[in-house]
Amino acid sequence: MSTDETTKIPVCPASELGPGDRRIIEHGDWLIAVINCDGQLFGIEDRCSHDDGPLAEGEVNQADCTVECPRHGSIFDLRTGRPKTLPAFQPVKTFPVEIIDDTITLEV
Amino acid sequence: MATAEILAEKKKVQGINSDYTEKFGFSDPETGYAYKAPKGLSREIVEQISEYKQEPDWMREFRLKSLEMFENRPTPKWGADLDQIDFDDIHYFVRASEKVSQDWSEVPEDIKNTFDRLGIPEAEQKFLSGVGAQYESEVVYHQVNEKLEAQGVIFTDMDTALREHEDILREYWATVIPPNDNKLAALNSAVWSGGSFVYVPKGVKVEMPLQAYFRINTENMGQFERTLIIAEEDSDVHYIEGCTAPTYSTDSLHSAVVEIVCKPGSRVRYTTVQNWSQNVYNLVTKRAIAQERATMEWVDCNLGSKITMKYPSIYLLGEEAHGEVLSIAFAGEGQHQDAGAKIVHGAPNTTSSVFSKSISKDGGRSTYRGLLEVADGATGTKSKVVCDALLLDEKSQSDTYPTIRIGESDADMGHEATVSKVGDDMLFYLMSRGLSEEDASKMIVNGFIEPVTKELPMEYAVELNRLIELQMEGSIG
Repeated sequence: MSTDETTKIPVCPASELGPGDRRIIEHGDWLIAVINCDGQLFGIEDRCSHDDGPLAEGEVNQADCTVECPRHGSIFDLRTGRPKTLPAFQPVKTFPVEIIDDTITLEV
Repeated sequence: MATAEILAEKKKVQGINSDYTEKFGFSDPETGYAYKAPKGLSREIVEQISEYKQEPDWMREFRLKSLEMFENRPTPKWGADLDQIDFDDIHYFVRASEKVSQDWSEVPEDIKNTFDRLGIPEAEQKFLSGVGAQYESEVVYHQVNEKLEAQGVIFTDMDTALREHEDILREYWATVIPPNDNKLAALNSAVWSGGSFVYVPKGVKVEMPLQAYFRINTENMGQFERTLIIAEEDSDVHYIEGCTAPTYSTDSLHSAVVEIVCKPGSRVRYTTVQNWSQNVYNLVTKRAIAQERATMEWVDCNLGSKITMKYPSIYLLGEEAHGEVLSIAFAGEGQHQDAGAKIVHGAPNTTSSVFSKSISKDGGRSTYRGLLEVADGATGTKSKVVCDALLLDEKSQSDTYPTIRIGESDADMGHEATVSKVGDDMLFYLMSRGLSEEDASKMIVNGFIEPVTKELPMEYAVELNRLIELQMEGSIG
């Protein structure tokens, strides 16, 4: 996001989001998924750029660090938000995630 | 007309229905088959196919995951009527020969005779750079010109490619059409077998076409080939496929997946002359990516099958990429050709054109279904869609479903559609020049499809005209 102003949103205690787990956060008009991929935390827009449907309900591949759209199978890289397969071809937004005082915190 | 001529003409007309059987619709005995799976689809069948082919674990897992996707997806309710397909009444894997031969003399005799009758070895000698011949589920013959091989061109069947070029295949596999794209793509991904793998290295121009020929022989058979073409930077290739099957009273299913990656500056032309017998459901997913300055062309001729649903797609993802779809559909009695095109302009200054021609007669139904999309950020795009339909009688049907989505204000889009009927005035004019009613009608149809046939290599244009003339026989009167 290009704005200089960011907001830190507490998501949940770190212990509640194990490897492969995800949590959906609503912030204004945004739906953002926080995903634990093999111990690493990622924040990604919960929207497939192919048809604007929800993305984060799909399967997370922890080895490849990807999430697969449950409707038409586009695979998105959690690190960059870029699709690795069609039918989606435009990236979705990603957001920094960190743990502050044992709480998973999303920066929007 | 003299009596002898009338008799000859009548004989010709009466012989029309049997012509497909004679030319393409014959069947061979299934003697000497290496394996024929029982009818029906299950986890066991999918595992068996993978084990039979001695595939790596990742492919077996890909198949099983795809099977789940197939089972979880409903049969599409839009488009042609697919409710009559009984997915449990199909043989999903039939191996006619134990190996892929590089010499026709090593191909089992019945199968070789079939391809001889279809003229494949002869065409290979005359004007092709390479040939793949698939019979039932697997490729039985594959050969590529030695010069091309020396230049690094790979043209082989998909099963061999998985064994010999696994790294490159895996890099691109299902990236253009993921298994969950649609129900039929999921089915293909679960039970795929055969098809072509084409890799053209940077800068290599393949001057003569590569051809694959697909033949179904068994009754209630499902053929699920999978083709992947990778054209590296500034390369050029033309791939042609043809297909036929015996005429049976029960239905067969053909459901292919074709993925194409056109790297920057490359050009790929993919030509299909589809002439399945009229008991085949032809449900195919074809999609290409065109990167910067690349050109992708689909030339898609649908003459046969009971129902076809096929919409070749091009994703123009690099600046100045160009895409073209030329489509002919011919729907006769009992046929529904639901064909079209999909073009997505995903980058600036991309251009595209779609020319679709359909002909309906004897109660046949042709549908043009198209999507043209200009994505946000794809500025300076140009596209033109022309779809023309010709109706030869009152009981035939033509539908057009064009969808256009524009995400940029400076896109230049054109859409033209016409529906015409062969009118008495046209026939009268030509007949006043001495043509018979039938010849006049043929001439009108040939003129109608000429913009597409002129894009085919001469041998195929002649064949297509001949096939359409056959379909036209007896259409007047």
